[in-house]
Amino acid sequence: MNWSGIVGVGLFASGLQLAMPTALAAVGEAFSERSGVLNLGLEGMMLGGALGAFTADYYSGSAAVGVFAGVGIGVLLGALKAFLSVTLKTEQVINGIVLVIFVQGVTAFAYEKLFGSGGTQPEIPALHTVRIPGLASIPWVGPVLFEQNVLFYVSLALVPAVWLLLQRTKFGLAVRAVGERPLAADSVAVRVDLVRWLALLVCGAMAGFAGAVLVIGDVSLFGTNVTAGRGWVAIALVIFGRWNPLIVFGGALLFGVMDALQLRIQAASGGSNSGVPYEVFQALPYLLTLAVMVIATVAARRNAQPAALGIPFRKEVIE
Amino acid sequence: MTVAQSSVVLPPFQRRYAQLWTVLVSGGGVVLAFLVGGLLVVIAGGDPLAAFRSMFSGTLGSTFSIGELLVTATPLLIIGLGLALAFRGRVYNIGAEGQLFVGALAGGSLILELHASGTVLIAFAVVAGIVAGALWASVVGYLRARWSVNEVISSLLMNYIGIFGFDYVIRKPLGDPAAGNALASRQLPTSAMLPSVSGLYAHVGIFIALGLVPFVWYAMRATPFGYRIRMMGLNREAAQVAGVNTARLTVVLMALSGGLAGLAGVIQVIGVEGRMDSGISANYGFTAIVVALLGRLSAPGVLAAALLIAFLNVGGQAMSVDNGLPYSIVLAIEGVFVLFVLIADRFGRTR
Amino acid sequence: MTKQPTVFMRGIRKHFGDFAALKGVDFELRPGEIHGLLGENGAGKTTLMNVLYGLHEPDAGTIELHGEPVRLRTPQDAIAHGIGMVHQHFMLVPTLTVAENMVLGEKGGAFVGKERLQQAASRLRERGERYGLAVDPNARVWQLSVGQQQRVEILRALYRDARVLILDEPTASLTAPETEQLLPRLRALADEGASIVFITHHLEEVLAWTDRITVLRHGELVETLRPAETSAVALARSMVGRPVTLKELGVDVSVAPSTEHRGTGNAPMLEVNGLGCRSDRGTAALDDIGVSVRGGEIVAVAGVEGNGQAELEEVLCGLRQPAAGTVRLGGDDVTHVTTLERLRLGMGVIPSDRYRRGLIRALPIGENLVLDQIGERPYGTPLRVSRRAIAARARELIERFTIRATGPGQLAGELSGGNAQRVVLARTLSRDIRVLVAAQPTRGLDVGAMEFVWARLDEARRAGVAILLLSTDLDEVMALADRCCVLYRGRLVAEWPRHELDRETIGLAMGGVVGTPSPATVPEQVVTRA
Repeated sequence: MNWSGIVGVGLFASGLQLAMPTALAAVGEAFSERSGVLNLGLEGMMLGGALGAFTADYYSGSAAVGVFAGVGIGVLLGALKAFLSVTLKTEQVINGIVLVIFVQGVTAFAYEKLFGSGGTQPEIPALHTVRIPGLASIPWVGPVLFEQNVLFYVSLALVPAVWLLLQRTKFGLAVRAVGERPLAADSVAVRVDLVRWLALLVCGAMAGFAGAVLVIGDVSLFGTNVTAGRGWVAIALVIFGRWNPLIVFGGALLFGVMDALQLRIQAASGGSNSGVPYEVFQALPYLLTLAVMVIATVAARRNAQPAALGIPFRKEVIE
Repeated sequence: MTVAQSSVVLPPFQRRYAQLWTVLVSGGGVVLAFLVGGLLVVIAGGDPLAAFRSMFSGTLGSTFSIGELLVTATPLLIIGLGLALAFRGRVYNIGAEGQLFVGALAGGSLILELHASGTVLIAFAVVAGIVAGALWASVVGYLRARWSVNEVISSLLMNYIGIFGFDYVIRKPLGDPAAGNALASRQLPTSAMLPSVSGLYAHVGIFIALGLVPFVWYAMRATPFGYRIRMMGLNREAAQVAGVNTARLTVVLMALSGGLAGLAGVIQVIGVEGRMDSGISANYGFTAIVVALLGRLSAPGVLAAALLIAFLNVGGQAMSVDNGLPYSIVLAIEGVFVLFVLIADRFGRTR
Repeated sequence: MTKQPTVFMRGIRKHFGDFAALKGVDFELRPGEIHGLLGENGAGKTTLMNVLYGLHEPDAGTIELHGEPVRLRTPQDAIAHGIGMVHQHFMLVPTLTVAENMVLGEKGGAFVGKERLQQAASRLRERGERYGLAVDPNARVWQLSVGQQQRVEILRALYRDARVLILDEPTASLTAPETEQLLPRLRALADEGASIVFITHHLEEVLAWTDRITVLRHGELVETLRPAETSAVALARSMVGRPVTLKELGVDVSVAPSTEHRGTGNAPMLEVNGLGCRSDRGTAALDDIGVSVRGGEIVAVAGVEGNGQAELEEVLCGLRQPAAGTVRLGGDDVTHVTTLERLRLGMGVIPSDRYRRGLIRALPIGENLVLDQIGERPYGTPLRVSRRAIAARARELIERFTIRATGPGQLAGELSGGNAQRVVLARTLSRDIRVLVAAQPTRGLDVGAMEFVWARLDEARRAGVAILLLSTDLDEVMALADRCCVLYRGRLVAEWPRHELDRETIGLAMGGVVGTPSPATVPEQVVTRA
């Protein structure tokens, strides 16, 4: 097998691009979980954002409009999740799954209504690669990071922004406090439920954006299973990244590179007539995600999980 | 990942009416579902009344369609019962789809490899399917019990692994060369198939499913096992102090629900498809979650919900074929339905 | 010179649903005074101060600060008026640093960068030095000891320039040396002109350290007087509303007459040897713990929260695996045995957190009463649960243990603390047990409920049960223990038989000070962890 042809700049460039939607969604999920809300509806938010972005781009011809639509849908779904989890305080595991089922059903119908079924697959124009002069000439790093489409650059800028939001603003401080000990935050007049609502809106926006990046930046089409479990993988990656947005992002990108590697090996090894069945390669990312999540959970010496994760906040009547 | 409890305590009078409220909510949900469905039909450019008429005739209109209704409900019911048990204990098995395929694989492979037939073989295949599904799920259960690994994500990821494994086996070792591009295993001998119920176009598997209902109902309501599940679901720590072995119970619940999913998978192979292919499941594992939730995690509720969802699915196909409407209307209806029930359910309790 | 009161609360009323927490209370706080607020659980003292701190708005009544009427809708209003409160359970976020905790909830800019934190840090240091409450602003709260965390809480109030400081049970989680350090600092603060409210139920402290004392009972003001005008017994009487004997105060050591057979000569029922285990954080929570309890005796393990009692409770129950050592129950090794087996071998448990571990709130009382016996006769067989048997047993236990409830069908979550604890007791004590692990059995209960629990424990003891009592309450230890050991930083550091029990010595040992002849001297032998 031609390893040097497989492992190279191309691998990393495509790997990072492939991983970006999952990574973005994972960062959003980390933000939500840091505030104490477990968002199992992430897959649904990505899917909804993907459909919104695809539809808007298709009809308007503009990628920017598509992205805004995707983010908008994501925010709306984030609000729905917030309503269910923070306002109504229903069981977070259940309402997340319900949200995914809901979105899957509604998007399936909406897509079929808008674009019909059968016949040619509607497509949107692919995004051009924008080569950043100067930086793109740096050996190794240049072509990987600076010869990508514009959404890639936006994503790279967005993640540190989210980190800054979490670590260097009053709101971020409140988020971190509310996810650990909401009662303490409440006692200094931090509005716990409001903070969680906002955190979920941020998460929804990131997930919607991730969906938009997926369809506009990567695949240029939509299908009812276009997200293919990325949302779930993202949630596992949050555990792996110990709820730190930067580590989560990095881990997700690493995964994408491995995913790209798997695809290339599969292609290079001759397809369906070679020794290793291609299903092994298909299953590999999920297997690895599982392994990584288990190892991260087991090996964690100090539990990094936000202490109030999954517990709705109820003000206790003090005697 | 462990997530702590948040139990809700109902005041007395509302508890008395809780069961009434449950029925009301479910009924209201059904009405709403049909309203939404009608709306969606209109959006899709069709006539709601005609659509509903074909839905009803497509399910209840003939013995054939009733048979199809029951056959569709069977896997939903079997898996739904298992999930209801597990969810009651707050063990969230989202991997039923993978467990279904693994069970189907085990049972189907056994039959093909042994080149034999007869009731004994069918029985063995069924057992193999149950055991395979149970083992597949036990991995998740063990990870949760021993290391608090989040079972939702791990069972979900196992889905993909299980399904890809299934795909491989039916493509290569047990593949049917005559199937061409379609992924399918060789046909099973007809003697290895489940017999049909005379007069009804359905296989005897429907009786297995229906027969499980009273068992599960009794287990939940009246056995110490059922009590322990409820205790663990309501307050894991207090249950532990009271002597419940929550680690073991977690694994048991995963194995039980996984085994039932595997059972459903085998039944689909030997009762419906006659071979192993992707058609054995129309996303049953995931839809069964909806069934369990709509059925409020109780056995009779799951029965009703399974029939209802089967009705929507089969009727939806008829509706879409007859009226040229997208089948996804049904998926949308289900989605709205389950969301509504979640919200309305919440208003039946106090904070 | 007329000293205008700093705070004047008039006619405060407050309802929580049906429950009238405050029924028209007047309270006056003068500048430069330390004012003690005394009352049983449920008397309304914390509620009154929560009203002053803006956590609740009163249904009726007025609040005046320096003669001006004010409306305190939120804690931020109170803080703006210079009122600070230190709660009994610290309101600090463990994973954040001290400085970050200070900045949390502050008004002002949206950005919290290095500068702002450094400003907060230097302000903290300055206040800390001024009032002798030094703490490292960049330490994460979970790394601090309980005493240090309390200092942070007090500093937080001072950081916001509070002139009125409300302390809710400040000494509850402190060791004796830490208490010794705290009280003079409060006096110093008061001398500067600040006013301090001291909510407590410790009669000795209130008599020694306050300028005036207010007693509340059932939401009403009983009296306000000077320490010189009263005594412990008189205060207790005011708190409870009827003549109270020393026995109820726990001062009289003859709750169980010393002539009773107290276990000498019996075989040991519970033997713990060389027990060690880790905490959730990975540190060593218990180290080489050895204790032995005979049938018919009560051995108390006293200690301040956070020194290993929780882990000891969990290891004995079977919730936590020990890293070393053995636990034997009547000769059987149960170190790695399941909780169910331990229950079957005759262990009974009264868990420290009755709502989290003792009861299942969403289930009816009837089921809670047989929680550990579902599936055993007579409540059913492995195949069937007998509701009738459960209901019958429930009615019987409700009467025997005077549980105030509407019936076996009432949900356990609706019961008050005292009644909930009765349910736990009923369940555990009505079984045939040989060993009882009672962890903080009277935490949060009022005097009446406490009496009840103590009486039942004594009853069990007389029936031959070996009781291991884990407690932070010195009154309880003094009243019940045949032997007492002290748990400090995961080790047993002292042990005394009943006739040598002395509150001060025990209290000092709980703070790590062992072997000094008199507590007034500077402690020289401080026990440290090896």
